[in-house]
Amino acid sequence: MVESPKDEFCGLVDQLPSDQLIALLHENNPIYDQRGATTVVRMRGWVMLTLARTSLPDTALPFIIEDLDTGVDAYLVAAAAVALRSYPTPNPAFAPFVVRAITNIRYRDERVSVETFGGFAIGTKGTSPVRELLTTLAWLGPHARASIAEIETLRTGPTAIAKKYHADLDQIFNTISSDTPLETADCCGLPAGVKDLFSWMRPTRTASSSIESTVFEDQGGRTITFGEYFHGRPSIVVFFYTRCDNPLKCSLTITKLARIQKLLETEGLADQINTAGITYDPGFDLPERLLNYGQHRGIQFAPQRRLLRSQDGLDALRKHFALGVNFIESLVNRHRIELYILDAKGRTAGYFGRVQWNEREVVERAAELLKENVKPVKSSSVRVASPVFGTFVALGLALFPKCPFCWAAYLSLFGIAGLESIPYSPWLQPLLAILLLSNLTSIWFRARATGRMIPFYLVTAGALVIIASKAFAGPDAFSFAGVLLTLVGSVWSTLNRTLLGSGQYRER
Amino acid sequence: MNVEIQINNSPNANARFLTWSPAPCRIRVTNPAGAQGQGSPPIRVSARTTTNSGALVFRKGTTGAFATSLQINVPVNGNWVSFFTAGQFGRPSTSLNDVQIQARHGNGNQVIGSTACTVRIRKNANDLTAGERDRFIAAFAQLNNQGLGRFADFRDMHTNVSSPQAHGAPGFLPWHRAYLLDLERELQAIDPSVALHYWRFDRPSPNIFKRDYLGESDNLGTVLFSGTNPLQFWVTDGVPGINRRPFFNTNNATGVRTEAQTLALGTTYPNFRTMEGNPHGSAHTSFGGSISSIGTAARDPLFFLLHCNVDRLWAKWQQINNRFNSAVAASYDSGAWPIGHNLPDTMWPWNGITGPPRPPTAPGGTLAPSPVVSAPGLSPRVRDSLDFQGKISAAACMGFDYDDVPFS
Amino acid sequence: MTTKRKSTKKVTAAKKKSPAARTPRAAFAVATNEKKTTAERAKAFTEAPLQTIDSDKNLQASLDVLRDRQQPIKVRLAALQSLQAASFSVIEFEPHREDYLATLREIVDDPDEELRQRVLGILAREKDAYTQQRLLEGLQDASKALLPPEKALQLLSYDVHTEAYPVAREIVNAPPNPEAKREALRLLSADAKSAPVFEKLLRDKDEDRDIRQMSAAALQAVKPKQFQEQARELLLDDKEYDDIQATALTALAQFGDEKAVVKDQKLMKRVDELEKGKSAKVKKTAKRFLSRYGTEK
Repeated sequence: MVESPKDEFCGLVDQLPSDQLIALLHENNPIYDQRGATTVVRMRGWVMLTLARTSLPDTALPFIIEDLDTGVDAYLVAAAAVALRSYPTPNPAFAPFVVRAITNIRYRDERVSVETFGGFAIGTKGTSPVRELLTTLAWLGPHARASIAEIETLRTGPTAIAKKYHADLDQIFNTISSDTPLETADCCGLPAGVKDLFSWMRPTRTASSSIESTVFEDQGGRTITFGEYFHGRPSIVVFFYTRCDNPLKCSLTITKLARIQKLLETEGLADQINTAGITYDPGFDLPERLLNYGQHRGIQFAPQRRLLRSQDGLDALRKHFALGVNFIESLVNRHRIELYILDAKGRTAGYFGRVQWNEREVVERAAELLKENVKPVKSSSVRVASPVFGTFVALGLALFPKCPFCWAAYLSLFGIAGLESIPYSPWLQPLLAILLLSNLTSIWFRARATGRMIPFYLVTAGALVIIASKAFAGPDAFSFAGVLLTLVGSVWSTLNRTLLGSGQYRER
Repeated sequence: MNVEIQINNSPNANARFLTWSPAPCRIRVTNPAGAQGQGSPPIRVSARTTTNSGALVFRKGTTGAFATSLQINVPVNGNWVSFFTAGQFGRPSTSLNDVQIQARHGNGNQVIGSTACTVRIRKNANDLTAGERDRFIAAFAQLNNQGLGRFADFRDMHTNVSSPQAHGAPGFLPWHRAYLLDLERELQAIDPSVALHYWRFDRPSPNIFKRDYLGESDNLGTVLFSGTNPLQFWVTDGVPGINRRPFFNTNNATGVRTEAQTLALGTTYPNFRTMEGNPHGSAHTSFGGSISSIGTAARDPLFFLLHCNVDRLWAKWQQINNRFNSAVAASYDSGAWPIGHNLPDTMWPWNGITGPPRPPTAPGGTLAPSPVVSAPGLSPRVRDSLDFQGKISAAACMGFDYDDVPFS
Repeated sequence: MTTKRKSTKKVTAAKKKSPAARTPRAAFAVATNEKKTTAERAKAFTEAPLQTIDSDKNLQASLDVLRDRQQPIKVRLAALQSLQAASFSVIEFEPHREDYLATLREIVDDPDEELRQRVLGILAREKDAYTQQRLLEGLQDASKALLPPEKALQLLSYDVHTEAYPVAREIVNAPPNPEAKREALRLLSADAKSAPVFEKLLRDKDEDRDIRQMSAAALQAVKPKQFQEQARELLLDDKEYDDIQATALTALAQFGDEKAVVKDQKLMKRVDELEKGKSAKVKKTAKRFLSRYGTEK
């Protein structure tokens, strides 16, 4: 960490070309690691103001618009307003964001300096975010025509802004009302390519193998791995943390996640698409905090609707999703709004970020994934799959060294007469052995996640007994003891989760 | 013969709470054995009280004088007969169910039916009994639940972002009345014996600032608590503790505008509501610490006692000037005000409306319902907050009262 | 906005009819009149806070008094108190906020410590970056300190996202006074990784009671389960101090995990003993504990 960020940072920023300056607007840039939130504000603001000295490139627009949309820091919003004016041409799509920024910041208006790093205005010198936003509105001129009704409410009536700004607003109003024809042919959209930076859907996806075994604890204290939760159906995932002090970000994100849940219900998709909120602050956001935060914002908890904290820290998730976040100690110092749509294999298929996303659009994008050829898996079957699978494998391994006749006899004994025709397959035993080991591994992960080791010991003992029985041609009773141990261990491993899980959901 | 008495016309024990406003009650014969003949034998209804308990008054209908006992003819066929009960002004309860409505047959002494109840009244916080105080702070501590509880919503309702919904315009008093009521009902969900009490900032209130109550401030402004006080685990915004540095001697009054001066601000609402500056703002800034800035004020539990007194002053002003009727111009401030400040407007956050000109989120959901009364509803309008005692319309009664603001 | 002014005029008219009280305008005239006594001016300032923002002229006059070092400090403090009270009327204060905060920044170096403290407090609660920077500089270099370290730490704790954690850790390890250590712990309580520090201090019988109580609250906030375990140990230790045992009992009585507590026979037995002990505060909390979990239920 640089002790005095100002001089070194300003020196660095002065030398960088605009593409590298834009890299500094990404929250996850290492330069922001272990900075306080207010320092990050000052640094980002200064980057924006430096960019504003030349023509603002398209790739910088998402960051500028983001702070107009959700910014609550006077310096940063003022810097964003200044920077937007350096864009080569006014664009009608900017106007709603500028008006929204005035509404957001008007009661937090304060004097700042856009001439200096950090922008502290002391005494009577300086500007203010509202003043800079009005100047940007004036720059937009007739291009803000679509927002004229909102601008009028700022000028007159009970919600008018401070009188000292009325002369500016009158002038803006006159300019907007003029008959000047618009220069831009496309009057309603952001520049080509910029919109894609706020949201995208990708047909090619990266596997989530690096985070498959990440163990989460949910709002009820239940544990589940990434693979268990996010496989089998598409998911809508947001990131947030309960100590976020910008109500336009995390608090609103979780409120909107609740609205997504309602939309999914209305659309009959509630059983087909998971929702989840994952905290950036797993050390502090303990289950009870997640529960309260979600409940107070309308989240309806269910097995496929949870708020989650990673028990393994955030590093792997941060890397996998390239999360737009940075930290001071374990606390977030700045983050973007970010929502991901995962496909039924847990792979990232879509993203919405930086500005407020539209709930319906998110649901529609997620629903498109349902058309992909993946069979949805019911939550209950996810839970019971593991012990049934493990026991079946153990049973198979115990039975299979026998000749085909014995196999048929055993199956008949168990009443599965229809399988008598299965031919003897010499490759089946090693396959079942591999499957047995994979069941063992799965149980180990669950044991690690839940802290309950006895099921793992039972399944291990079961596997050893079966293998020993086969290796030394022991009596059948040995094999069946192994099967029994595997069965008990496998069921035990999931039993607590299933029973506790459903019980607690009912309680809440 | 036996009778059954229901308070607030409800069999629910949670509904057995009274204020100074008349509450609808009913009585019926459940066992006619012993009644002489048919018809409607006379039943005498009165209250059983003790020295420090609540006391009750009764009347038959919606008008007329109250009396300490009431004779009602109740048919033996089991039909209900209605009557009204209220707390006797000046005699609030000090503990749960410390007063009983009793029924006797004619002039007899045998009690043939009784129901315990509580005259639950907001009091001067400085004068509570030790038991009342301990239950009050325990309920507060539980609502906060080390920063994990429902209190977080109340903290989120009163921030820099949401403050224009509730300050600097006429909706200041109505909004805070609903806010306090919401909080009080949450406290009562934890402990039904508790009411939200007030801090009379114009009078010495030394007890409140003791370590076994809302805490004693050291020179730094850090509030210190005794080991027995659950408020020592108070957490807001993820940080434990309370900062509050008084600029006055806590054995004395703050020096803000007195009650008499406040009530003399004028007989119309536009004049009276200037009390938002002094005493309200002045009481806030008679301290350093959280309570002295609007964005952090709700981090200190004292905030709610301070505002309870602001609300009491409004209630008292209403009572003196008869300003309960929203149709009377002087009861409110007409004109075009920002949304949330006009009589027909619904109030954020209970209305759930978000996005400009309302705040981005609406923490806490609708206003907590009460098992005792139905007003002011889950999503109150500004006008619903005026007739809090149900003087204009009995259905508007909000189920709270102050120890020094009578019904009539 | 005209409607707001209308109501203010109504007020003024009404006040003129009342001979008993002076109008807010008259009070403000006294507050800004240097020929009046300090006491008169200070009283007049606090009398009608909204008058300070009734017009831009009044605001500027109030800010002039606030920043003028030649004015009596009592009058300046009263002006500050009045302006801060007016800031609660957010809608009416909107036009004046930027001037107010910029003036506060201007006077953070004022020679009067009480004024500095109040001004820095207001700015810190606004999470003002300038204030945080100045407070941090003071903690890192005493020659630049605007306030004593304990006060600076307390003000920095209004924003859990500050950069004060490293310096707070240093202060916990080498505190200039117990208050500074306590406030450093409070600041660190936002960081879950500090839990081992709180555990250690909570169990250390040689530590000040306030430090141990702060550590208890901090541990309870970041690691509630660990705190419950520690509270149990404190209660089972018959050499532990009464007030710390009262704190532990209060925590368990109020926030304890009921299922775990009622099963813990050793703990229940111990609380039974404590309820019969000599310390009044321990008895009181033990009684509350038992009324929730035990024999007095």
